[in-house]
Amino acid sequence: MEKLKNITDKNPFKTPGDYFEEANRKIISSTINKETGSSRSGLIVRLRPFLAVAASFAVVLILGYSAMKLFSPGSDSGDIIPEISLQEFSESYLNDIDILMLEQNSDPLIMSGEVPDISKAEIIDYLLLENIYENEIFELL
Amino acid sequence: MGVSDQDTDIFQLLETDVNKGFRLLVEKYSRKLYWHIRRLVILHEDADDALQNTFINVWRNLGAFRSQSSLYTWLYAIATNEALALLNKRKRNETVSLDDVSSILADSAEGSTWFDGDEAQIRFQNAVLQLPDKQRIVFNLKYFDEMTYEDMSKVLNTSEGALKASYHHAVKKIEKTLGAD
Repeated sequence: MEKLKNITDKNPFKTPGDYFEEANRKIISSTINKETGSSRSGLIVRLRPFLAVAASFAVVLILGYSAMKLFSPGSDSGDIIPEISLQEFSESYLNDIDILMLEQNSDPLIMSGEVPDISKAEIIDYLLLENIYENEIFELL
Repeated sequence: MGVSDQDTDIFQLLETDVNKGFRLLVEKYSRKLYWHIRRLVILHEDADDALQNTFINVWRNLGAFRSQSSLYTWLYAIATNEALALLNKRKRNETVSLDDVSSILADSAEGSTWFDGDEAQIRFQNAVLQLPDKQRIVFNLKYFDEMTYEDMSKVLNTSEGALKASYHHAVKKIEKTLGAD
C-alpha cells in the first residue's frame, strides 16, 4: 500500500481552468425553474380526486356489462370450453412440442455439455460482487 | 463519514426554496462527484457529460429523495450509475478498448491534454483499469474517496463483507500488476 501511496499522491488528471464554476453554472441553468420530481408528484396529488371518480365510473360500467352478459338469455358461454381429461391434455401438450425448435433456442453450451474457460480470479470477482463472503468462496474452491 | 449531518442546511433550504437548496447541493458536491466519475471514465469530456446527467437526475428525483436518509450516498449512487452507463455505452460502440489508459488518451487528443501523469502514474492507472468495473468502483471509493464500507454498501447495494473482500483483492491485483511491470 505504501508503494501505491507514493504513486498516487499527485492527481494526474486535469480539468480546464474554471471548469467547476462553469460546470456548476451549466447544471444550475439547465435545471432551476424547471419541474422537479417533487412538483410532478404534486400534480398527481391534485388530480387524485378526478382519477378516483373516473375509476369508479369504469368499475360501474364493467360490472353492468358483465351482469348483462351473465343474466341475458342465451349466454351459456360456459359450454364453449370442452371438458378434457388431464391425460388427454398432457398428451396433446407433449405432441405440440417441437424438439428441433427447443434445440435451436437452447444455450449451445448446455446442449453440448462444454464449459467455458473461466479463470479462478474471474470466478472470485463475480462471487464477491454477488454478496458471497470470502470465507465461503475459499470453502468452495 | 457523517456527511449527512452536514447536509442539514441543504435539506432545510430544499424544503423552503428548492432552487437555492439545489444550488448549494451542486456547489458542495460537484467536485467530489466529478473526480469519482473521472476516475471511472478517464476522459474529461465523458466525465463532464456524466456529471451533467447526474445532477439532472438528482433534480428530477428530488421528491423521491426526501424520504431517504443520506444525501451523500444517494448522490454517489446516481453518479456511479451514470459512469457505468457511459462505460457500457462505450463498450457497445467498441470505439476504444478500456483496458489501457494510454490507448484511451491516445485516442483523444483533447483527453491527453487533461492528463499529465508520469510513467509510474500511467502504469498505476493501467493496473486499475485491469480490474472488473465493479471492483474498480470499490477500489476507487475506498482508496481515493476514503468512503466507509457502510456508506459504500448503500451506494453499491452490496454487503460490507463482500466489499471488504473485493477491495482486498483489488489491492492485491494492482500490486501484482505493478510488480510484474
